[in-house]
Amino acid sequence: MDNLQHVATLISSITIEKPWGIDVPNYFWFTGSSAAAFIISSFAHVFGWEKYKPIAGVALLMAFVLLVAAPLNLIDDLKQPGRVLNFFMYGWENFPTSPMKWGVLLLMAYPILIFFEAQALYRVYFVKNAQKSSGIKKLFHTAFAFGNMDISKEALEKDHKRGFMLGAIGIPLALAVHGYTGYILGAVHANVMWHTPLMPIIFLASAMVSGTGLLIILIPLFQRFLSERKKVDNEMVATLAKLLSWFIVSDLVMRFLWLTFSLTFANGEKYALYSYFSLHFVDTLWIDYVLCLFVPLVIGFTKLRNTPAVVYFGGIVTAIGVWLFRWNTVIGGQEIPRTTPGFLHYSAPIFGQDSIVAILSNWGILFALICAVLLIFPWDEEMEDCYEGAENAK
Amino acid sequence: MGQDNSRRDFLRKGLATTAFAMLATSQADAMSLQIPGRDEKNPKYIGQKGKHFVMVLDLRKCIGCQACTSVCKIENEVPEDQFRTFVTETELGEFPDVRKGFLPQLCNHCESPACVPVCPTGATFKREDGIVVVDNTVCWGCGYCISACPYDKRYFNKRTKTADKCNFCAQRVDKGLLPACVETCIGGARVFGDINDKNSDVYKLVSNFSTNVLKEAQGTRPQVFYINLDSRLEELSSSTQSLDDIVKAEEGFQREWMKARGGKDNG
Repeated sequence: MDNLQHVATLISSITIEKPWGIDVPNYFWFTGSSAAAFIISSFAHVFGWEKYKPIAGVALLMAFVLLVAAPLNLIDDLKQPGRVLNFFMYGWENFPTSPMKWGVLLLMAYPILIFFEAQALYRVYFVKNAQKSSGIKKLFHTAFAFGNMDISKEALEKDHKRGFMLGAIGIPLALAVHGYTGYILGAVHANVMWHTPLMPIIFLASAMVSGTGLLIILIPLFQRFLSERKKVDNEMVATLAKLLSWFIVSDLVMRFLWLTFSLTFANGEKYALYSYFSLHFVDTLWIDYVLCLFVPLVIGFTKLRNTPAVVYFGGIVTAIGVWLFRWNTVIGGQEIPRTTPGFLHYSAPIFGQDSIVAILSNWGILFALICAVLLIFPWDEEMEDCYEGAENAK
Repeated sequence: MGQDNSRRDFLRKGLATTAFAMLATSQADAMSLQIPGRDEKNPKYIGQKGKHFVMVLDLRKCIGCQACTSVCKIENEVPEDQFRTFVTETELGEFPDVRKGFLPQLCNHCESPACVPVCPTGATFKREDGIVVVDNTVCWGCGYCISACPYDKRYFNKRTKTADKCNFCAQRVDKGLLPACVETCIGGARVFGDINDKNSDVYKLVSNFSTNVLKEAQGTRPQVFYINLDSRLEELSSSTQSLDDIVKAEEGFQREWMKARGGKDNG
């Protein structure tokens, strides 16, 4: 290689454009965090771990809003967003080989499932609220109870069963809805960074990290400022911190397998990858691995997890770190040249489609959706009941 | 009462029939395994049955004049700064043993293309004569095919806002003409034809010379064959540093380069 650099010099070529911009890593981050929030809610709803019960409802609602906001990134990324219908009408012969085809179906099925699971969880509260209120409020609560005002023991048992069933179906669906995004990249054999069967697993592992990080930030905020207790459950924060550390361990294992194989034992592509990581060695090592993974790992596994402020810091850096990892994978993978020498460079435009403003707008929509579900669903009453139930049990 | 019932019945039946008819027609028209052009067996979409078009690039004859690059832009109305084909120009060897290396590149119309199976709308497909095309009235511009192509031979056309690429000038080939780049190639380096025809030039060249394809390991089975392909040209295109800049920096051409571009030069 070195020798070659002295004997071949490129005089002229064409600079290649790359198709995927800032929308795509943002989209991946949203679906990943949604899948993680769903899995955490399923700890209580499906596996019956009482510890996670108080936050399971809110986690479910967060999974819902993240997944409603996520596909907007994809529509914005399309060069012809007006042709969305073409996706549904044409090209079904490519269904077995185009992960994008699977993804859109998953993206439609998954939020509907979460909505029904949340409805099963909160129906009893909607009924209670309907009984307390009158007029349009009553109508509203009745509508969300789907008109089923029965709160007998049998009816609640039925709700619980329905929630369990939907949660159980939802787990593979949640894994698929994010796993397919990794599959989209892994399937591209032209891209040396993406092309590994590990990609869906790596994406899932890092998704668990970002989703847990996000819940560590959001749940205390909700509890402190919006719940009836107006008090943060510090024990829960510590529990989530420890959970986060275990997720970081699995993420690190996946990345270790990926990088050691692709940098050392791969075919000729390893040179390109090696150059890429040499170029980005310092920022990848210190920011991505040390600050955003190793530090939160230590927080969760040591007594530091009992200091909420430290845990919040860990949550924020992991959420940001995984966003950066998504960026480095999607954008970095495209920066590696295929037909021209030298890395390509991409910087997101500020305005327009696929821009920084587009991403910020998407976050704005997420914020609005969070406000909306927190207003509509009686999450704090349910959370309060869980805490009271736990205290009575003691 | 009886009248009421029959009216209601009539309305109900009428509505049901209309809904069913609407659904059925929309289903029949709209849903497709492929795309409308292929379903209708439009010759533009089906191509020339029984033929298999390939291109042979005889690099011994390419002089890097870029006539192909420019005629392609004119023929296919390719927007400014975008290209369906171009010729990479390279310097090989060290002084005094140097020579120029040219690598004309275009869509390889692969036998097993990476771009086609991932397309979620079916807008890009392979015609029966082997030409890979894009229907820019169907493409929704997701860019998956552009990511999938190992040869970087797809791009978003600025004008149509859809994926675009070389189509072997199918609009000309279907009229019995040669692709514009082949027609204009002054050295005769580009040869095009039906490889199923044993009297064709491409058949004879591929049979009698040792040919290579680009990035064989990708498993795409390209249908653009190169004669006299220097492995260094391929190495170069997958190397990760701009060799031009490295050499300029090492040899101290940087200042001259700056001067030529009108930049400041304090040295």
